[in-house]
Amino acid sequence: MHFYESSIITTKDGLHCQVYANEHPTNSILVKPKYIPTEKVESSAMQYRFISGKKMNRLNLWADKSGLKSYIEHFKEKYPQYIFNSTVHGSNHENGRLIFSVPIDYIERVYFPRTGLKELMSMPVEALDDHLKTVHDFVQFLINSGLNLHDLGITYSTLMGHYASKVSDINIVVYGKEKFWALMNYLETAKHPSLRWKTQDEWLDFYKKRNRYSICDKDLFIKSASRKKSEGFFNETLFVIFAAEREEEVHARWGSEKYVDKGLITVQGTVADDFHSVVRPGYYEITDSSTPNVTQITFHSRDYCMLAKKGEKMEACGILEEVIPAHGKSYHRVVVGYFDSYLNERREKEFIRLIT
Amino acid sequence: MAHFYESTLIDTVDGFQCKSYASEHPPGYVIVKPKYIPTDAIQGEGLKFRFLFEKCLIRFNQFAKKAELQKYVEQFRKTFPDYIYDCPIHKNWFYVVPLNKIKTIHDPKHGLQELLKVPIKDCDPYLVLVRELVDFLTKSGVSSSNLGITHSTLLGNYTFGKSDIDIVIYGKDNGWKILNYLKTASHEKLKWKTDAEWATYYQEHKTSESSHFTEQEYVKHMIRKKYEGTFGGTVFTLFTTEEPEETWFKWGEETYEPLGLATITAKVNDHSSSHVRPGFYGVEHAQYIETEPNIKINPIIPLKKVVTYSIPFVQQALNGETIKACGLLELVTPKNKQHEQYYRLVVGYFDAYLGERREKEFIKVV
Repeated sequence: MHFYESSIITTKDGLHCQVYANEHPTNSILVKPKYIPTEKVESSAMQYRFISGKKMNRLNLWADKSGLKSYIEHFKEKYPQYIFNSTVHGSNHENGRLIFSVPIDYIERVYFPRTGLKELMSMPVEALDDHLKTVHDFVQFLINSGLNLHDLGITYSTLMGHYASKVSDINIVVYGKEKFWALMNYLETAKHPSLRWKTQDEWLDFYKKRNRYSICDKDLFIKSASRKKSEGFFNETLFVIFAAEREEEVHARWGSEKYVDKGLITVQGTVADDFHSVVRPGYYEITDSSTPNVTQITFHSRDYCMLAKKGEKMEACGILEEVIPAHGKSYHRVVVGYFDSYLNERREKEFIRLIT
Repeated sequence: MAHFYESTLIDTVDGFQCKSYASEHPPGYVIVKPKYIPTDAIQGEGLKFRFLFEKCLIRFNQFAKKAELQKYVEQFRKTFPDYIYDCPIHKNWFYVVPLNKIKTIHDPKHGLQELLKVPIKDCDPYLVLVRELVDFLTKSGVSSSNLGITHSTLLGNYTFGKSDIDIVIYGKDNGWKILNYLKTASHEKLKWKTDAEWATYYQEHKTSESSHFTEQEYVKHMIRKKYEGTFGGTVFTLFTTEEPEETWFKWGEETYEPLGLATITAKVNDHSSSHVRPGFYGVEHAQYIETEPNIKINPIIPLKKVVTYSIPFVQQALNGETIKACGLLELVTPKNKQHEQYYRLVVGYFDAYLGERREKEFIKVV
């Protein structure tokens, strides 16, 4: 079932969730819980936020690991309905893949980025506050690329209305991978007095925050990150642009493949195709793999979007999976960033990096 | 349905947001003022837009130009007929939310208790200020469990530096306790408007209410009210709401016959419910200064109350003071035959904003 990634779902019991994929099992939407009420489960290992009149925990996968692990265990007990037991990932969620999902019946409201942006752009400009005015001007600028308003959406705090001017990011969704690439090409050369790209120091801040120094050469990180045109500043407000796959663009329908866990592996290869590296989950097609038959490096974290280009060499550490399609030949892939990886040593071990 | 706290935000199943406008309500309904309405329901000039929760919404404004407001209300009636209650006991109408149209009730009290549980380190500067203000207000002796937060503070769509802090006080006694405390209490972040600032405010914010006051009169009335000030540079407003056992009337125990516009003077003998909505001033020795020609007043029946739905006229007068007021004169007939009929004067019914009463109604101390 198709449902656009980056939409926001609030559940009947007050959770705020980000839709975390574009392809979903029937009757349930794969998500990452973002804000969770503290009535049933609470952890001081996570930041608190006061949102929608409730004290919430912000689920942070980079929080102290034992605190995170304990929190997730309690979450599973208190909210079993939001733990998805995948039959295609080859093992039950007790010991295997941790997947969050919201069953359709538990949805209170869906916030659609495209609808939200359309509403926002229909507002008289004089009615917009500073943050929304910046969003409005930025979207006008993006539309100069040839994209239509209908190709774009706005998400997270701007969509939900709990942004803070000068603090909150602008999160833009582009519907369709081709549209997204067209926009990236436009941004390679486009100019605007309010537009600037992240400096090396600003990228290094990010590098330090996510512990990247232990797994990635600093210069190579700067090289791969600073050429991305999906992040920058507009009117000194950080913007991040995401792609969401159209239904016809999705690589594999839910249930059309099965995945067999073969353990942690590190693999090197040459990027044969980076077209699908702009979405979540995204992937790189590789050739010349150091491990025979591995033809794909898949990731669930946006940090790995657009890291390597066609012809470049990359290295990844993650779960080696045999992919068994319902029809056709099986192949192998390396998957980085399943939710369960954040609960064990894989959080530090997994990576994708450019090596040349 | 009888009691539902005033100043509570309600989301409706039809996508608009309302604020409860009284604490006593007709069975099956909550009396409200629509606050944000979807753009497909109302269109026209002079309306302010807000982007809230994924939607472009219109801020309903009772002070829009009258001709425009009449059009908006007409559109609203057509689009949302269920949200207008033609009240048989008032022979007047109210904006309401039928109980089966309520989607979410945003409870100010619960919201504040949730906020107080958030570690300060995780509160942004605006929420830190809210916490400090609440701490300060509890020095009055009123517990935080009798306070609430509402509007953007509760819903989280505030803008630090721009949004007010809106505090709800539960219970009339608690309301007076805080308002009295604020007469003398000091805090480095607390600031009240000075006489000069109120005078400037008067000059810059001419309204139909203030038009009945000279600058000097306006300043005199406002300076002693303690329901609005600034804390750390942010405006705060205090709304007192009645507990179920202390509402000053029960829905259905009286009927009201509207008679027409009247101007009266009277001596206040009870201001204890003048800080809630609707609020009232108990009065005696009323004299009719002016009435519409068709009104026939029975001199045996006393005028006992001056009622206000309009916030600018709450806490306007104290016991012993003489007020002058203009509003809709009503003959009140209690259901209990042992109670006698009386007159009351009402300021700020919803229909007043659509007609000439908008400019004419007021309450002032003379």
